[in-house]
Amino acid sequence: MSCLHTINKAPSAQLLESCCNCLQKGDAVLFIEDGIYHVLESSLLSSIPAGVALFSLREDIAARGLSDKCDPMVEIVGYRNFVELCVEHDKIVSWF
Amino acid sequence: MPASEKPKTFTFISRSAPYGSDRPRLCLDAALATAVFEQTVNYLFMDDGVFQLLANQNADGISSKTLGNALETLELYGIDQVMVLRDSLASRHLSSGDLLFPVQLLENAELRELIESSDFVINL
Repeated sequence: MSCLHTINKAPSAQLLESCCNCLQKGDAVLFIEDGIYHVLESSLLSSIPAGVALFSLREDIAARGLSDKCDPMVEIVGYRNFVELCVEHDKIVSWF
Repeated sequence: MPASEKPKTFTFISRSAPYGSDRPRLCLDAALATAVFEQTVNYLFMDDGVFQLLANQNADGISSKTLGNALETLELYGIDQVMVLRDSLASRHLSSGDLLFPVQLLENAELRELIESSDFVINL
């Protein structure tokens, strides 16, 4: 069983801390909307367990002016990949 | 306003990231309206509000108006006291070089003075 976790609030909402407790190997975390600002937080991202893939949505990154600032641990994907991620995982958990 | 009445000092504090809610735009609209009435306006970005000032924003892909462009109207309305809390920038791994335009960096102690010296504080 794998799970896609989406986070749509800035790091100040501390959702990643709650999400981290639930993550298992094979899961993925996708940053969307204001969740995008996590791509600036290298140390926070390092606390995510190994074997969890990290993604962020290109359109939300571009809107917020972060195209050149995304941490290399996070893969930038488009809406099409967003759909694929939803289909590939057994469940989706939204953190908001 | 009667000529004898002195303008009041309004300080607007914008604390939310752009695009996630309409708070940043509401705060901006209120400040611009205040400036039109020839009041003294201070505009401060703190907490997640500093994200509004990031350069290279392009909100076409999320069907929104790019907020960065709107912020440049502050100067047109004569609001030249545009400030950013230094702590808020630093804790988000940002520096003044990442921002749209030059702003005054404010220390925490100066923030207290700013509020003290204002007649009204609008915190959005």
